[in-house]
Amino acid sequence: MALLRGKAWVFGDNIDTDLIYHGKYLPLTDPREMAKHAMEYVPGMEDFSKRVSPGDFVVAGRNFGSGSSREHAVLCLKYLGVAGVIAESISRIYYRNAINNGFLVLECPNISKKVKTGDELEVDPESGLIRNLSSGEELFGHPLSGLEREIMEKGGLIEHIRSLMEG
Amino acid sequence: MEKIASSKLGREVKAGERVWLPLDLVVIRDFAGPNAILQFEEITKGRGKVFDPERIAITFDYQVPAKDEKVANNQKICREFAERQGIKHFFDVNAGIGQHVLLERGLVTPGSVIIGTDSHMNLLGAVESFSVGVGNTDVVAGFILGKLWFRIPQSVKMVFNGRLSYPVTSKDLALFFVSEMGGDGANYLSVEFYGEVIDSFSLADRITLSSMVTETSGKIGFMVPNDEVKAFLEERVGKSVEIIEADPDAEYLEIREYDVSGLEPLISCPHVPENVKKVRDLRGVKVDEVFIGSCTNGRYEDFKVAYDYLLRVGKGFNPRVRVIFTPSTKEVALRLLREGIASAFVEAGGVFTNPGCSLCTIGHHGILASGEVLLSTSNRNFQGKLGRGSYVYLSSPLTAIASAITGEITDPRDLL
Repeated sequence: MALLRGKAWVFGDNIDTDLIYHGKYLPLTDPREMAKHAMEYVPGMEDFSKRVSPGDFVVAGRNFGSGSSREHAVLCLKYLGVAGVIAESISRIYYRNAINNGFLVLECPNISKKVKTGDELEVDPESGLIRNLSSGEELFGHPLSGLEREIMEKGGLIEHIRSLMEG
Repeated sequence: MEKIASSKLGREVKAGERVWLPLDLVVIRDFAGPNAILQFEEITKGRGKVFDPERIAITFDYQVPAKDEKVANNQKICREFAERQGIKHFFDVNAGIGQHVLLERGLVTPGSVIIGTDSHMNLLGAVESFSVGVGNTDVVAGFILGKLWFRIPQSVKMVFNGRLSYPVTSKDLALFFVSEMGGDGANYLSVEFYGEVIDSFSLADRITLSSMVTETSGKIGFMVPNDEVKAFLEERVGKSVEIIEADPDAEYLEIREYDVSGLEPLISCPHVPENVKKVRDLRGVKVDEVFIGSCTNGRYEDFKVAYDYLLRVGKGFNPRVRVIFTPSTKEVALRLLREGIASAFVEAGGVFTNPGCSLCTIGHHGILASGEVLLSTSNRNFQGKLGRGSYVYLSSPLTAIASAITGEITDPRDLL
């Protein structure tokens, strides 16, 4: 996995699945439509989907993605072009859904305090090393390992299954 | 957890290992089910067969009956899929909340491994089933392979000794657990509940507690069935079931012990479940709506205890408050209707709805206007979940019914 570079958008603790992708949009099945509603219920972030640029990172505090099993909450960010989520902790279903969709998630202690919105980050998904190019600080995230990494590298669980079916 | 995985794989499995576990049941709902079916059809080019139609279940509980054309179409996709694949465990809009329906229909046993598109799937840990909520991609893997990847969680042991005294309930204990653990305190972990309080818990109490494990990001919360729960399971499954006991030398990441005899009625305040306070410290907060139901407090016992309290106080609901009752399943609904409990709620000024997820899924009914306050027996109070600018508090059915009578947050001890 190559080095990634992008701008940070910093959120607080407990960014739950309704804040990431509100329940009223659950009947949608097209991920490009889902993308328009990403982060819409975070106060002050109603137009996040218009402001974010492809390759940017979502940075958050603890318990990111708590709540619903809705995969929409991963797909909306992925189809918006967000490069990944780096949070102090990521709730287990969100973590699974991200891996299964080949969407980068990294846990990194104190990240939401060490990074400001607009900071330029360089992230090595393989080692978990995060460089804040704006402040010069280096942070160490927990890289993926074993099976999760294998699934991520294939591009997600569906691709993994395809390769199992062919093999 | 290690024991269940080891017995499934026929070898010793340790916490932290990544394994593919065979699935006893793959469950989809009218929520996320259609996404999974469309993905399945795409990957199998419309010609695929599920690994075993006997081990797939489809339950409708999300927005039942369908509230708009999109939902109606999603439900149609599921119905046609069930027909095409020969899936017999299919429960339409009249049946109720999926996990509860599966439990009542004898499809859940201790040690079974179940996945479903519901983050509260894990409430089935109340009967020692390893059931987990997953997204639609995991379900597609389940449909095709009949197995799924898991990271075997480490375990935490919670011991609750002492006795809860009326009107303190299992929900108050569940809120105490969430506040002690914190919103991500059990992330990636399995929780095992023990102690005198758990031993005395009915199945309904156990479901209330195990469903709230999700609110600590826990993977699953197990309770070893007592005789009553075992008898229920055996009656429903139609054969004897084997209880799983942890090994005496089982390893735990942490063991926490509490005497909860002095526990008071608790309430979770906006906008995160872990924000738990004493009900008496919030006395006087006006409520616009009260909801009793959900997968957390939608069993017969939850309504019966509220009904008995209502009779005892002998007053109807504050006419300013909308009071909504939603049974978890058809079976619960029928019993409440038969015993006159549903009519007593309606006579007192309440609304009695068909079984399902009701308020917990925005878009059906009971949505709040900006600035309004809901007191709910459900499990989540996320910001804006039930309407932008609204406030949701979580409590037991007894705190909820007391507050419905007065129109403000009320400690249930105050009216006795």
